[in-house]
Amino acid sequence: MEDRNAILETRFPEYSFAVERGKIREFALAIGDPREICLDPEKAAQAGYADVAAPPTFGIAVDLWGGPDFARLCEILKADPVKVLHGEQEYEYLGDIVAGDVLTVRTSVTDHAEKRNMRLITLRRVYVNQRNEEVLRCRTVVVELK
Amino acid sequence: MIDFEKINVGDQLPALTKDPVNEIQLVRYAGASGDFNPLHYVDAVGKAAGQGGVIAHGMLVMGFMGQAVTGWVPNRNLKRFGVRFVNVTRPGDVITVTGKVTGKKVVDGRGVISGEVTAADQNGQVKAVGVFEAYA
Repeated sequence: MEDRNAILETRFPEYSFAVERGKIREFALAIGDPREICLDPEKAAQAGYADVAAPPTFGIAVDLWGGPDFARLCEILKADPVKVLHGEQEYEYLGDIVAGDVLTVRTSVTDHAEKRNMRLITLRRVYVNQRNEEVLRCRTVVVELK
Repeated sequence: MIDFEKINVGDQLPALTKDPVNEIQLVRYAGASGDFNPLHYVDAVGKAAGQGGVIAHGMLVMGFMGQAVTGWVPNRNLKRFGVRFVNVTRPGDVITVTGKVTGKKVVDGRGVISGEVTAADQNGQVKAVGVFEAYA
């Protein structure tokens, strides 16, 4: 078996994603979260946002539409897609994300642990907007069952 | 807006009960999030994975939890929000998100509230547990 610790050296491609009103709307409605600041530019403006605001878990759409999709992510992590589960997800919010933003995302593998019946891979992502402001950080734990 | 002075440790967040999760929602969420893992919309894949059929995206459940938290504190006040996924969610499950305040402190002159949230189904099975921090 190859040395899976080499995964800590994995280089992820940087990716960019243009945040659009329609995508925020689609995402909020898929969750069933009809919040006006996500759907209505006027309500968002009244609340002090430059445009409609992203819901708190919108980062996942930035990742999967802007970066490698699930199948490609499994290839990069050398994980069997059928055995992969989502263990944990944590966001740290540093600034607004609104329609019109262009986010650039850098990903790194920060931890890799082998347990008796599973492998845990921790990814960290940093999201920077078009003004070079860091607006979001994310930590994801991917679980591969053995 | 919430009033920092009137918040107490142990206060409950308003519970949020979602409509039953269904396959249409899973397809919509797959498209919205870009997570096209067929485990979430092809029954045969769910069966092959030993789940008995399709299961919901964990991030959809986190989305419900985020809706509950930011229904209570404004979106912009949220500083940190993390969840751990505990059990899978299936079509037909009715998810209720509950939460409570676990701490309050003043950081750099601003009130910060910490809390925990839980998503559980109609039988009380916990699907995900989370924590958050928000400015009051």
